[in-house]
Amino acid sequence: MFEVQEINAEHKDLIHDVAYDFYGQRMATCSSDQYVKVCLMTSVTDVKFGPKTQGLILATCSADGIIRIYEAPDVMNLSQWTLQHEVQCKPSCSCLSWNPSFSKIHPPMLAVGCDDTSAATGGKVFIYEFSENSRRWTKIETISSITEPVHDLAFSPNLGRSYHVLAIATKDVRILNLTPVNDNNSIQSGITKLDVQTAAQFEDHLSTVWRVCWNITGTILASSGDDGYVRMFKMNYINSWKSVAALKGDGSKLLSNENYQSSVGSSAGLPTPPISQTARYIKLGAISQPREVPWH
Amino acid sequence: MATFNVSQDGPVNALALNRDNTQIAIGGRNVFKVYSIEEESFKEICNLRASKSNLNLSFSCNDVAWSSTDDHYLATAATNGHVCVWNLTKMGKAMQEQDYQEHKRTVNKVNFHASEPNKLISGSQDGTMRYFDIRCKNAVAIFYSNTESVRDVQFSPHIPHTFAAVSENGSVQIWDVRKSDKCQQQFTAHSGPVFACDWHPESPWLATASRDKTIKVWDLSNKPTLEYTIHTIASIGHVKWRPQRKYHIASCALVVDCSINIWDVRRPYIPFAQFNEHKDVASGVVWRGDPQVFLSSGRDCTLYQHSFSDASRPANKANPQGVSINNKGDVIYTYRISTNNTFTKPTGLIRKSSNTVSNDQFHQATSAMLLFQTMLYQDTNCFYALATNYMLSGRSFSEMCEHNAAVAKDFGKSNVCVIWRIIKTMYSEEFYEPTINHSYGEKYCFKMQGMNFPNDYSNDDQRSKVGDNCVQKLNAGDDSGNLDTDIIDHVPSFCNFSAYNNFKFGLPKGDFSFGENELDIELDALSIDFRNSLQNSQHLGQQQQDWTLPNEAFNLRHEILDRSPPPENFSSHYSPDINDECQQPLSQFEDQVPNLVSISKPLEKVHWDPSNIVVDALKYHATMGDIQTAACVLTVLGERRKSLKTLDESTQEHWLLGYIELLNRYKLWNIATEIIKLSWLPSVSQLNQQSTRINTNCSQCAKPLQRIGWLCDRCHSSEYALCSICHQVVKGLYAWCQGCSHGGHLEHMQDWINKHKVCPTGCGHACEYR
Repeated sequence: MFEVQEINAEHKDLIHDVAYDFYGQRMATCSSDQYVKVCLMTSVTDVKFGPKTQGLILATCSADGIIRIYEAPDVMNLSQWTLQHEVQCKPSCSCLSWNPSFSKIHPPMLAVGCDDTSAATGGKVFIYEFSENSRRWTKIETISSITEPVHDLAFSPNLGRSYHVLAIATKDVRILNLTPVNDNNSIQSGITKLDVQTAAQFEDHLSTVWRVCWNITGTILASSGDDGYVRMFKMNYINSWKSVAALKGDGSKLLSNENYQSSVGSSAGLPTPPISQTARYIKLGAISQPREVPWH
Repeated sequence: MATFNVSQDGPVNALALNRDNTQIAIGGRNVFKVYSIEEESFKEICNLRASKSNLNLSFSCNDVAWSSTDDHYLATAATNGHVCVWNLTKMGKAMQEQDYQEHKRTVNKVNFHASEPNKLISGSQDGTMRYFDIRCKNAVAIFYSNTESVRDVQFSPHIPHTFAAVSENGSVQIWDVRKSDKCQQQFTAHSGPVFACDWHPESPWLATASRDKTIKVWDLSNKPTLEYTIHTIASIGHVKWRPQRKYHIASCALVVDCSINIWDVRRPYIPFAQFNEHKDVASGVVWRGDPQVFLSSGRDCTLYQHSFSDASRPANKANPQGVSINNKGDVIYTYRISTNNTFTKPTGLIRKSSNTVSNDQFHQATSAMLLFQTMLYQDTNCFYALATNYMLSGRSFSEMCEHNAAVAKDFGKSNVCVIWRIIKTMYSEEFYEPTINHSYGEKYCFKMQGMNFPNDYSNDDQRSKVGDNCVQKLNAGDDSGNLDTDIIDHVPSFCNFSAYNNFKFGLPKGDFSFGENELDIELDALSIDFRNSLQNSQHLGQQQQDWTLPNEAFNLRHEILDRSPPPENFSSHYSPDINDECQQPLSQFEDQVPNLVSISKPLEKVHWDPSNIVVDALKYHATMGDIQTAACVLTVLGERRKSLKTLDESTQEHWLLGYIELLNRYKLWNIATEIIKLSWLPSVSQLNQQSTRINTNCSQCAKPLQRIGWLCDRCHSSEYALCSICHQVVKGLYAWCQGCSHGGHLEHMQDWINKHKVCPTGCGHACEYR
């Protein structure tokens, strides 16, 4: 069940992203009205803090296809961030995500997505890993199955999984399982080999998907798309992903899973129980929305 | 119209179009050329730098202007203070018709009057502006700005004789060319040097660009009023209004930013269009009278014609939506509000990004933010409740398991409850044994942990160890019926998990059966997989529990008397219950004999180690996001986790860290600390050994307290460390306000702050404890 509440963020321009803080009590928005402002040489398209296990570290990716990793050597002086690494990726990087795993068996990992529109340039999602031996970031995987522009991607919080789950917002919602393969080759070279499996692919939005976001335990994925819905997906106990809810705030019909039949493309192919067993969301009320009010 | 360019020998500082927008003049340090603009290229018409004779220092151009009344005249502003007028109809040295050497310093700008022929104005670093008639040898008027250097001068297209001048101290002056003694208007526009200005072609607006990284639009119809401000990422060197588009203005930066941005002044945060052709900063922009085409010069030694169709639109790349979920499961969602209200219904056809809005809607970008507050707090509450109620240390293993199972059941997590019970069954004290290669007898030398049982027991000691434990088990989980339903309820959900399948189907059943076994089928199946000997004794214990009770009631005394074998007859402390059982059938329960025969069988050991299944189960929970169960079971297992050989330390660490992270998110710091404290992994237990030092100062003399405790060496007193409420020395937790530094016992302060707002000492400070 969800109760809808509208918040006036008082931004003067489009809001591009929103995030909760660690404790889930405050939220931050970033908008092109420059209230969260990053001034760098090229047009930086995404910036993310690294997992806290790695100290104060942040990564940016930019339209010119360079991933830059900065580190604040002194926690008391946050105005100083020194450039640690520069990795040349494909042009028009649009988004990146740190792998948040706490486990020391998982070396630092980044996923980068590109939003260039030509399908000819091949895979749009790249996985980079930091090798402790060479002290360098190396590309360990190109997800060739995704050739449409990627708008957002997010690693699932990994509290205890042996594999990584990556959600990708492209023309649809993809969920990939990345399993590190421990064969002799990877042990010798010190470079992780990943076994990439598409765990699910949801075309529910029927339009461009802009954002994907995980809950804190990595069991629920929320996505938003041009259809104006927030759709939620959940993994059931046999590792297959199901659409569990679609939320829309502007007073139009809110679909709950009972009447909502998703076109689920589950790769697992296992018989699944009725969705209603996994979760239940009911719309409590509609809200009126001042959608015609321009900002000025 | 196409985008094309031509390269030069050196950086180009300025460019100017002729009246018909067919030819372009460019000037730089060693460049001074005129090109005609063809369909697809530039064609050089003349190079005023070609002949050696013309090579004169006065030609290093800062600016170029083309007369808008007479196509033959060009004017240049030179870095050495010269203003030159060029006649394109002449040849050689004669081309340079005038060379005014009046400015003392660099000339920054020259500008022809739009309607009056032959009139020219210049602005210089020396702080003056000079008005020239190109037919005269000297300036006709001199304007002293009385400010610093003049960076730009522009004739107004609206009011004849009026021009605007901007200067390095951030001020704008409006002059009438006929009144050189005093400016008409002056106002401070920017906090830094103003580098450029441009009159709006229709409205009475003046745009100014500055090093303070803003472009400002002023309405000068009355008193100068600020209409719009555009924040840019770099100092702006040039601005130019876009023709026929009231709100659009082009800008190029002086440093850092190589792109040319076209802004909609009503949406000042993101450029409407962006041109990224230049490799270095652009030095000038001119529109070809058409809103779709403009030319630009750059420090990268190029001259470009840009077509608007080749622009990049940064706003289209920016993500218009955002989603986030917090630890309670609330979803926050921001999205672009579509302004035209024709929201595209999702159909199978619409795939392309639909945020390409038409130009007149560009400025109406606005977002809405919605908070979906979940009403399903069950998961969160459950996590919270389990975290706070679980017992992780301090009691015996089976007690903790039983307690935790009950807690899990109370909060609706019956599958977790089953896990705890299974763990208990497999590893509890009476059955658990780290090394398998013991003799049967030795198995009953109980490996006790934290439980003290009387070591000597005689025949009349009814509650033997095994009996005791079994009874306790049954009592604690007294509801064995409950257990039944529990397990039956949840077994289906386990069936799909391979490890659990082994429990049910995978392994052979025992080769004996208990006819009257009241244990439920499921647990039975589990137990049969378990080490036979252990499991047998359990069954016996429980079996006996049921049918010895009436026995006890009626002929117990007799039984005891009858029963002869003293404990030392057994190789170890063999259970008197079993003993009991052995005898009873002989005397009375003949029909039980077949069962009793089977009792000897457990002596054949089957080495079955449950750890693989336990590891699988824990991994399953971890994978499903229920890291709480995995981490807590590991913690409660204590030393027993050593038998989980397939679970490597890094995974254990991963789980613990994951659970600690979650606890921190819910602000359950005490429990997180408990987990850290109970941790067996150095990397985890070290977590709370960092930053453990607190420095304290005496609250009277501010001398750092050296000793442990509150005694100040200077004041020889600890009275300032007394609790403000009970006036006793605080031993233990001392809470104090960071504002007034008064404080006291944690509980006292809590009580006080719940009822009052100000400090208990009466210092008047409104204390804040957060």
